[in-house]
Amino acid sequence: MADQLILNVNGQERSVHATAETPLLYVLRNELHCTGPRYGCGMAQCGACAVLVDGAEVRSCITPVSAMSGKKIVTIEGLPALWAQSKGAAVGAGTLHPVQQAWIDEQVPQCGYCQSGMMIAAVELLAANPTPSVAQIKDAYTNKPPSPHLCRCGTYAAIIRAVQRASTVMTSDGRSS
Amino acid sequence: MKIMLPVSSTVPSQEFLPQLTRRGFLKTGGVLMVSLATPRLTSQASQAVPQRRMPIASWLELHDDGSILVRTGRAEIGTGMSGFYPQIVADELGVRPETISLIMGDTDRTPDGGFSAGFLTGAENLRKVAAYTYQALLRLASEKLHLPVDQLTVSDGVVSGDGRKISYAELVRNQQLDLTIPVSGEAARVDPKSWNGLSGLDGLVVLGNPPMRPMSGYKVVGTSYPMPGIPDKVMGRTQWMCDVALPNMLHARVVRPPTLGSTLIAAGTLDKTKFPNAQVVVKKNLVAVVSPNEWEAISASRAVASTTKWTEWAGLPGSDKLTGFLRSYPWKAPSEGKGSIEETAAALSTSVKQVSAIYEQPFIKHAPISPFVALADVRADGSATVWSHSANLQGLRAQIANTLSISFDKVVMRWLDHAGQFGRTTFGGDGAEGDAAILSQMLHRPVRVQWMLQDDFAWSASSPGWVEEIACGLDANNRITAIKSSFYSCQSNDARIVGAILAGMPTSEPKPGYWIATEWPYDRIPHRREEAYGRPNLGSDAPSGVGMRGLIMRTPGQRQQNFPLESLLNEAAAAAGMDPIAFRLAHTSDQRVIELVQATAKAAEWQPRPSPNPMARSEDGKQLHGRGMCLMIRQNGCWVGIAEIVVTPSTGMIQVTQFTIGADVGKIINPRQLERCMLSGVVMGISEALKEEVTFDTGKITSTNWSGYKILTMAEMPEIKTVQISRDDKGYAGGSEPANAVCPAAIAAAFHDATGIHPRRIPLTPAYVSGLLKTVRTAS
Repeated sequence: MADQLILNVNGQERSVHATAETPLLYVLRNELHCTGPRYGCGMAQCGACAVLVDGAEVRSCITPVSAMSGKKIVTIEGLPALWAQSKGAAVGAGTLHPVQQAWIDEQVPQCGYCQSGMMIAAVELLAANPTPSVAQIKDAYTNKPPSPHLCRCGTYAAIIRAVQRASTVMTSDGRSS
Repeated sequence: MKIMLPVSSTVPSQEFLPQLTRRGFLKTGGVLMVSLATPRLTSQASQAVPQRRMPIASWLELHDDGSILVRTGRAEIGTGMSGFYPQIVADELGVRPETISLIMGDTDRTPDGGFSAGFLTGAENLRKVAAYTYQALLRLASEKLHLPVDQLTVSDGVVSGDGRKISYAELVRNQQLDLTIPVSGEAARVDPKSWNGLSGLDGLVVLGNPPMRPMSGYKVVGTSYPMPGIPDKVMGRTQWMCDVALPNMLHARVVRPPTLGSTLIAAGTLDKTKFPNAQVVVKKNLVAVVSPNEWEAISASRAVASTTKWTEWAGLPGSDKLTGFLRSYPWKAPSEGKGSIEETAAALSTSVKQVSAIYEQPFIKHAPISPFVALADVRADGSATVWSHSANLQGLRAQIANTLSISFDKVVMRWLDHAGQFGRTTFGGDGAEGDAAILSQMLHRPVRVQWMLQDDFAWSASSPGWVEEIACGLDANNRITAIKSSFYSCQSNDARIVGAILAGMPTSEPKPGYWIATEWPYDRIPHRREEAYGRPNLGSDAPSGVGMRGLIMRTPGQRQQNFPLESLLNEAAAAAGMDPIAFRLAHTSDQRVIELVQATAKAAEWQPRPSPNPMARSEDGKQLHGRGMCLMIRQNGCWVGIAEIVVTPSTGMIQVTQFTIGADVGKIINPRQLERCMLSGVVMGISEALKEEVTFDTGKITSTNWSGYKILTMAEMPEIKTVQISRDDKGYAGGSEPANAVCPAAIAAAFHDATGIHPRRIPLTPAYVSGLLKTVRTAS
């Protein structure tokens, strides 16, 4: 039977009803109407459902919601606030995370279905390695468990450019502030 | 952006220019609406157009705030149409593209239907719609400014002449103006006489020849206008197909049979103590579990699946026996043949040297990154609304109406973004919409069906495997005198709705067959005979009625047939001891092909020499290096691919290290979006060349997830260079699609360059490559 759980999603405490084993993905989408993470495979094989949990990428399609107690979940909807918070600034209406802006500037999405997972992976990568090389970007998107991030449209080249663009913005911003 | 456009000096074809009519005056607002008339231009056209069930929405609306709404039944499929169409309209109309918004796909809000992938026809339609509108606006301005039309110029939606000016917005203010333009075409319908079981999929075509601007004068077309939907997708604001929810909606999961031919013996039962809100729904062989809670529907469907009993079936040859099966099939007459049998045979028999080979490829999948999803609301009054991400909404509308036995007019399709599908829904079918509509009709509630990954891989249609026999003859000067090819595959037009087949409800009835898809770049090869054979689906006699359904996929037919053609050219060049580029250029006088080949070769730093590569082995002896090329012409465009690869003989691994792709697609609409399509198409093409293969046993598809059906990862992507040639005098060409088709033959040629072995099968997996290398070692 459904339990009442408290989740911290994009900086807000949210109360939800769900059975303990329900994957986080369905709770985010159907209970909290947070539709950035999307169902791709249900087997942690593609990355379309990726979210940040305490800063680390997690595949929400196989993660039971009961494991999320006391953790901070961030979806693409929460990326602007995450960036503003890291700068100690308030999040404005037009604020975008530099990764999001880079995804627009580089015109990354084709169909776009996988891209929220791709942006989540970029945010995690740039937190760990602010100036990744092309080889390091390819490695992060391909060899990091549990699976490669897959894009059937084939936008990998644009993703690499966007990660590098975001890296430039984020590191130069860091120096000037 | 400032746009200065001269009024076209082209002498207009005045056979027909529709006139504006004023429906009335308005106190506030104002609009010019462009709607459709069935054609009266030619007797032929008027005969061709039945009056039945034509859509009624306007095509273009110009409002008194300067905003322009364009409607098209075609949908964005990830390649940039949603940007290209505003660019085209902006240039013909003389406005900024930012003033144009687009409604796509929805059958109740768009007029025309048509193939979403059919960019050329879609672009031509909207170009004419805008051109007619432009002429009407000029005439309106001419009256207002008391100046003849030929003294007017238009910039950013403002008409000027003799020091006076008036904006489009002012021209329509306080009025309701109608412009009716001529079209031909018919509504989509299930048609047993049609080869794919459907007709009217082309949608409407705008008739007449309104004066249009010369492409050399375009200011917006040719620039890298950004794709409009991207910011919302990046910010999480887009409503995707999977996001639509209705009050009282049920989530459904299908319980599919264990094989493609099985029929139901007994549906499993539900443990209501575990799944209190779930329900099993059965219609013949369609079994589903529904619940208001999505996770309960998933969990309950798994429980039901484990106890549902089905008949056994083993009517497939198995993927490892596919080639032998196709070769030994009792083929009769070809579905299509081109060229002279006798002349080609005579030229081959008198040739000095012959080169022949048999090439093949297994089944592959469109493999969208999301399994398909749909929502249907079939109401008690017999009307239905279906939310879909199909690429042919009118075709799917016709199929849904046919399956549910309700009127076409009572079905509304609403389109939303979803995962790219690469031709799988070009004929309207092959999504979850049928399941959703059937279940909603049964349950009298809105039903959302999300296929799980295994459902999608195992039960969607595939691009069928094939075999081609091809031979050419060379004369004493190493010129090809004739080519003969015979292509054998399965039908690739089965857009029947799988849920309807399983439920035993009416479906379309596609016919077996295949077609010749090659376009011929080698005008200096004097003789050729091409034949294409298409048998029915594998397992077409399955008791379930389903079997291995075949459908077209990106660059259909030509992707398959270009691999043997261009591979044979590479084999012939090697047999002639000639550089493969020089060899090709000796066989064509097409200046577009020649210029593009030369530009792409230059970008790739191609050094002319014959294959194989005498310096293939790396210094440490552990790797072999090779390079290869191929070309293709398609839909008024030319494409060239040049691959550089490294083969590691100890593992059989191939890494493409560099790929250079060149495209001449006539007038380039958007260089950046074209580059994206070239880069991403190369990723898919390399994926097909190295990795993709559907495996199946005697009853079912066995590659049902991403570890079984492998696609290219980011680390496997090479550095990719692009070369673009734009031409003002050649019209538009298809630019979004073909890049994938110039990869396999180039990579296969590079493998021969590296190893001296001609590979005649894709994908070049490590196991296949190891086998090829071992065979040669054993032989030598």
